[in-house]
Amino acid sequence: MADIRNVKARFLNARLTSKLSIVLFGLVLVFSAKAQGGPPPGGDHGGGGGPMGGIGLPLGFLQQDKDYKFPDDITKYTANDFLMLVRRTDIRSSFYNSDMSATISMVSVSPDRGTFANKEQIFRRDKDDAFLMLMVEPESRKGQGMLRVDNNMWRYDPTSRKFTHTTLKDTYENSTVTNNDFRRWQRSIDYSVEKLSTGTLGNYKVIIGELKANNDEVPFPYLKMYIEADRKIVLKVEEYSLSMKLLRTAYYTQYVQIGDSFVPTVQIFQDGLIPEKRSQVTYTDISTKPLPDYYFTKEYLERVSQ
Amino acid sequence: MRLIHLKLAARNVRRQPHRTIALGGAVAFSALVMALISGFVNGMDLAIQDNVTLYSGGHVLISGYTASWSGKLQNRFSDANVAKIVESTDGGIRTVSPIAQSRATVVFGTREIQLTLRGVDWTKDQLYHDSLILSKGDWKGLESSRTMLMSAQTANRFGLSVGDQVVVRLNTASGQQNVTDYKVAAIYDDGAAGGMNTGFVAFGDLTADLNMKSNEQQQIAVFLKNSADAEKAAQTITGELSSKGFTVSRGAAANAGASNGTPSQDSSTGSDSFVSSITAPASSGTGASGARQGMGRLSSGTAIYHVSTIQELAGEIGSALGSVRWIGYAVFLLMLIVSATGISNSYRMVLLERTKEIGMLRCIGYKKKDVFSSFIWEGILLAGGAALVGVVLALPIGFGIGLIPFNPHGDFGAALVQGHLRFAPILGQFLLILVFVTIVAIAAVFLPARKAAEVVPVEALRKTA
Repeated sequence: MADIRNVKARFLNARLTSKLSIVLFGLVLVFSAKAQGGPPPGGDHGGGGGPMGGIGLPLGFLQQDKDYKFPDDITKYTANDFLMLVRRTDIRSSFYNSDMSATISMVSVSPDRGTFANKEQIFRRDKDDAFLMLMVEPESRKGQGMLRVDNNMWRYDPTSRKFTHTTLKDTYENSTVTNNDFRRWQRSIDYSVEKLSTGTLGNYKVIIGELKANNDEVPFPYLKMYIEADRKIVLKVEEYSLSMKLLRTAYYTQYVQIGDSFVPTVQIFQDGLIPEKRSQVTYTDISTKPLPDYYFTKEYLERVSQ
Repeated sequence: MRLIHLKLAARNVRRQPHRTIALGGAVAFSALVMALISGFVNGMDLAIQDNVTLYSGGHVLISGYTASWSGKLQNRFSDANVAKIVESTDGGIRTVSPIAQSRATVVFGTREIQLTLRGVDWTKDQLYHDSLILSKGDWKGLESSRTMLMSAQTANRFGLSVGDQVVVRLNTASGQQNVTDYKVAAIYDDGAAGGMNTGFVAFGDLTADLNMKSNEQQQIAVFLKNSADAEKAAQTITGELSSKGFTVSRGAAANAGASNGTPSQDSSTGSDSFVSSITAPASSGTGASGARQGMGRLSSGTAIYHVSTIQELAGEIGSALGSVRWIGYAVFLLMLIVSATGISNSYRMVLLERTKEIGMLRCIGYKKKDVFSSFIWEGILLAGGAALVGVVLALPIGFGIGLIPFNPHGDFGAALVQGHLRFAPILGQFLLILVFVTIVAIAAVFLPARKAAEVVPVEALRKTA
């Protein structure tokens, strides 16, 4: 009798173990799929038009902004209102519902190096925080490129056929432009509001927000943002060092509305230490057509650079 | 060997001076070239090690990397036990000093230059006090806070002089941008320091600029009594640190010194690229990244260490010297082949010329092996003597070339000593050259000597009668 009980108990244990294994296996499958899934799948045309997601964005980053009610009077803005305003400018200057491609013309002036101009083609997928840049002009540097994908960034030189690792903080072509300037904006994630004031910038009434970095890994510890409250667009940003010295001033002088987005098409970056050193970046031929996924691969950059 | 063979060989060498000079000259030239190449490559090797010691701040470097809140490795550590363990290590250590370093942009007026800025504890320093020659200012001036020791190259480019104020832009240890001011207190002769253009400031000032705490440092530089002991000292330090539970890796990857945690504007070179590689999320590599591999994401505050030696740091430049050495070997081999062919042909002629004489010698009692020996000895005397002349001549020529000034900022600047090539002959290598040349000469004379030994006396006398 005892033997039968033992056999039954063993049988039950075996069945229980088997069921538990199936449940555990299922859970492992679900979590593995989630872990490996990455961003949501793209739309019908190759990933650009997929639902709003976004690599590296806090939960609800895009959704919370939609119904936010800003004060009518700019003097009544609170720190939270301003942060939401910065978030609005972040979202509106980016393309989370589509891909973006454009031609960039850059003119840089430096007392040391003189004036030099170049032209690039940019392909951006903001929801994945990815972009690809290809040098078109000058002819001698045609084919050089830069790729940002999965939080990694590389430069490609077609002459040596080598990729070298680079970062968002690095300057672009020894100018006052950094690699980060070609990426989507996300200042509202990295900074918190310290002080608010109002003023005028040319003919525009602006809210001036002094921002401090949330963490010590952001390149500029302090920012001063000048945002036009009516159109909710950034007109000027001053970037300060840890010792509160002005490092760079960015002017966003022209905007173009494309769908829901307001794209700063003319951007001027002036060095804070050497004011004579400045660069102008102009975006033209902006398109929001979906881009194939393979555009954001090293293989494509290698192929298209030849 | 009988003395008579040597005497006969010596007489034969003297008999036809033109041929001896022509043949010997070719051999001497090969030996001269090889001796010069060998001496200069040795000198460059030593110069590179000395200069890399200056660039990196010590013979053995212990770099510490601490994981930040985000899991990124930052070039900083605060564990004082590391320095204590290093100091207590028995490895012929002269000094142990903390070092901080960053790639910085120095701005003066509308001009800017990127250079490495190193923080040195002047109270503990011996290396720079002993090695750098100050062309302006003095060491005392550097004791004041926020002062800089600048290379003559940088100062000349800016038109700077002692007392001028410069703006320094750098990245903190965590990657934030910072801007500070420094006053130029002294200028050193970079030509006497292998073309180095590093700027030096007080350790405390630089760590403050890098936003590091007072108990933090980036690197420990160990200056040894004898640089040849670097490898042994590094092994001992690695062993000691590992046995105390520290995560330590060994190798060359830490390159010339520490850097701030995030690469600066020209982060594609040197130490910055190393740090960049270990801070990159999906990178792989050696050194600290190697130590990091297999650990997954490091939890905040976890520190890993990397120990490297000047020999490893000099490796990249040293590998260029390896090429020079190999080119030298190839030239030497080519010259030896040409000389050997010349010697062999000459001795065939000698055989024809001396057939009657050989026949006579055989008739008066010379044996085959005596004829063979006299030929071989003639070859040895000729080639060995010529090689000796070549090697001896290399000494004044080598030291003479060492007096010619070269551009210390050129491609081979790091291989120069005070703008000059260093000629460092090694007796063993010179002896090797002599032995090698002699062996080749014996091989070249062997066949003609054997043919000479085979000459039938009667036939020889009859043919040449």
